[in-house]
Amino acid sequence: MTSEPLPPSAAPVETPIKAQKKGAQLELVRRASVLVGVALLFIFFSVLTKSFYQPANLLDILLQSSINTMIAVGMTLVVMTRGIDLSVGSVVGLSSMIAASFLQGNMLLGTMAGMLIGVICGLVNGVLIAKLKLPDFIVTLGMLSIYRGLALIYTDGKPIYGIDPTFRAIFAGEVAGIPTPVLLALAIAFLAFLLVRYTALGEQIIAVGGNEEAARLSGINIDRVKICVYASSGLLASLAGFVLIARVGAAEPIGGTGFELQAIGAAVIGGASLFGGEGNPMGSLIGALTLGAMQNGLTLLNVPSFWQLVATGVVVILAVFADQATRRRQ
Amino acid sequence: MQIPNVDPSPKLLLQLKGIVKAFAGVQALKGVDFDLRAGEVHALMGENGAGKSTLMKILFGVQPPDSGTIEIDGHGKVAIDDPRHALALGVGLVSQEPSLVPQLDVAQNIFLGQTDALNVVKRAEFQAKAREILKPLAPRLSVTTRVSTLGMAELQVVEIARTLARGANIIGFDEPTSSLTPAERDGLFTLIRQLKNSGKGIIYISHRIPEVYAISDRVTVLRDGQVVANRATRDVDPDELINLIAGRRLAEELHRPIKPSARPGRTEALRLEGISAVGKLHDINLTVHTGEIFGLAGLVGSGRTELVRCIFGADRKDAGTIYVNGKPLNVQSSSDAIAAGIALIPEDRRKQSLVPVMDVERNFGLANYRQYAPSGFLRLKQRRKDIERYIEEMSIRPRRAGVRIRNLSGGNQQKVVIARWLQSGARIFLFDEPTRGIDVGAKFEIHELMRRLAKDGCALLVISSELPEVLALCDRIGIMRGGRLVNTFDDCSELNEDLLMKYASGEVALV
Repeated sequence: MTSEPLPPSAAPVETPIKAQKKGAQLELVRRASVLVGVALLFIFFSVLTKSFYQPANLLDILLQSSINTMIAVGMTLVVMTRGIDLSVGSVVGLSSMIAASFLQGNMLLGTMAGMLIGVICGLVNGVLIAKLKLPDFIVTLGMLSIYRGLALIYTDGKPIYGIDPTFRAIFAGEVAGIPTPVLLALAIAFLAFLLVRYTALGEQIIAVGGNEEAARLSGINIDRVKICVYASSGLLASLAGFVLIARVGAAEPIGGTGFELQAIGAAVIGGASLFGGEGNPMGSLIGALTLGAMQNGLTLLNVPSFWQLVATGVVVILAVFADQATRRRQ
Repeated sequence: MQIPNVDPSPKLLLQLKGIVKAFAGVQALKGVDFDLRAGEVHALMGENGAGKSTLMKILFGVQPPDSGTIEIDGHGKVAIDDPRHALALGVGLVSQEPSLVPQLDVAQNIFLGQTDALNVVKRAEFQAKAREILKPLAPRLSVTTRVSTLGMAELQVVEIARTLARGANIIGFDEPTSSLTPAERDGLFTLIRQLKNSGKGIIYISHRIPEVYAISDRVTVLRDGQVVANRATRDVDPDELINLIAGRRLAEELHRPIKPSARPGRTEALRLEGISAVGKLHDINLTVHTGEIFGLAGLVGSGRTELVRCIFGADRKDAGTIYVNGKPLNVQSSSDAIAAGIALIPEDRRKQSLVPVMDVERNFGLANYRQYAPSGFLRLKQRRKDIERYIEEMSIRPRRAGVRIRNLSGGNQQKVVIARWLQSGARIFLFDEPTRGIDVGAKFEIHELMRRLAKDGCALLVISSELPEVLALCDRIGIMRGGRLVNTFDDCSELNEDLLMKYASGEVALV
């Protein structure tokens, strides 16, 4: 540069500093409030019940949260592109039914078939949203109905019993005393974290959610990014479905009903912003654990499961509110 | 402080005294005094960071001062809680970024918040009022047009009209002309003069020195949070004013007559043949050579932005061929254009260039994943090294690659965008309003950068509504009107602002 830098001034640019400080403060407040919330939750249940803080129960919470964690990781990726996937629960149901039916002949075939269906479901969502420019909300809501319908049609509404024991050992077993679903969920969250942090696709996900037009004008293939996240979401939903049927020992066409809310909740509690561009797959692990701990504690307190539904909804809406309140001002 | 020598207008509408404000220990305002009389246009100038936006935020109730007093005629000393309270006290701001409801029509937007405006019965009444307010500003703008169909300039006009409709006595204009054409600007000035004559007080914030001379009676210059001048505008000469603002002798550099350094080589870089897009562009033919800056002048809506977007593959063209280095280029999407070495620096940085949640480094890398992630995995060290080099070379401030881009000033953001495209290896640069909303010092740096690109053999196609910028920067100038390239000047030595304006508005017949 031939020009010299601007003259040093006593007061650097004031708006940036203010914005930066305020942004950082809000971000800190949001993160802190999640941690404080989780801490309060643990203290609350530990005081009220004797069993909550026992290692066995804590492990149980981890186990119970693992399915939601897997789905929430995919949801986080979708939400980061400023999208939403409401069809995940039905994908769980459909892919697990397909997997279960093929498992009876061949373990590998069943696993592959289930994952394939998950990916295909996600691809269909992604293509409709990216290529036909249909609203994500409507597409995945429609697909929620379609995939569920297909799952029911597949066996005329009947469950499939007798899941392959090897399959069960893989997806609902233990390694060194730690349940495999927990390990699987941790591995998925970590891989997604690496994806976001260290790959071009990860940054492009943030770019698409953060400013789609700027991303397009930078030559990023928006459609490809969107299709990728919905396909990932479908794939992870199918893996969650595997854990579900492995634990239960049977596949039900209505399996996974309502999982979408849990996953959105975990993603948002974990720091994903419905405004797009922000989110952390490791955070969705925290989010899923928070919801899991709450449901576990309420069960220990003998709160009826119907009320747990109410509580879950309230927590999810609160989390979204906190997100809106902190981000909009930036 | 010197007592300004202005027309006697004794009534003080507003008096700010000893305003102090600090952010994170940094003093943004160090005891600023500012006053405003009835029937006066008081210009507020200063570089980004000088404290003028902080001062305005305090006046319009966005932030409270740490200390100091605000006194408003008829209300005495006040503490302004929020913008709504400011309005109630008769203090209104026409902000830089229009905040309108796209689904509503012009009249409804102007009277938004006054519930009757949505009342079907009263609609005619509000439309009549809206028409009256808009008359001097944009006589041809229909008040029943939906705001979503308006262009940037018209949005700004509606925004101005809205503040006026609220009956504010003290009206701040924050860079109001940054998206207006000269004709619209003249309309605005007429309106401001009317407001002034009706006894209102106007605070006029602008980076544009000629405008300040055209419209203001008095000028206050802030630098580093302090008032360095409060004078009658006619008593300050432009060089001195620039000097006061920038604190160094920028004036000579800015006014230096610029001639193309060397006659550019006549190697063709970009050639357009018969580019058309239904309803937007008609049969555009032009050639930009290597080492050349080709300026596109014209009014807002004349098709300039549409043309560069077509070249870049952001919008579809219906006919015509784009040649890059003599070879026809099939542009289906922006990535095709980028692969052919074309870069677009769009007019709206915030909406089209930047991902605000990302840091400087990632924004820099946005068009360069081919380089930084050929295998899909990012070469973070290499990218960090590269951006740090640009930060040094281009004096990007702050000096950190990890700071979020939205926290940078407009000029620094623009430098990051240019760095992005430099790194991508682009040889053809399409600049759309490259210095909009950028302060004097940074503007100069961006101009220098553009000249250097040309010197290095790049081809530049530059759109600017600031005619002095076009005249100072460009080797050749084309004029667009109504989607056509109506004129091309290979020799710009005979051109001046007036003439350009006349061609652009169609007052001069085609040559």
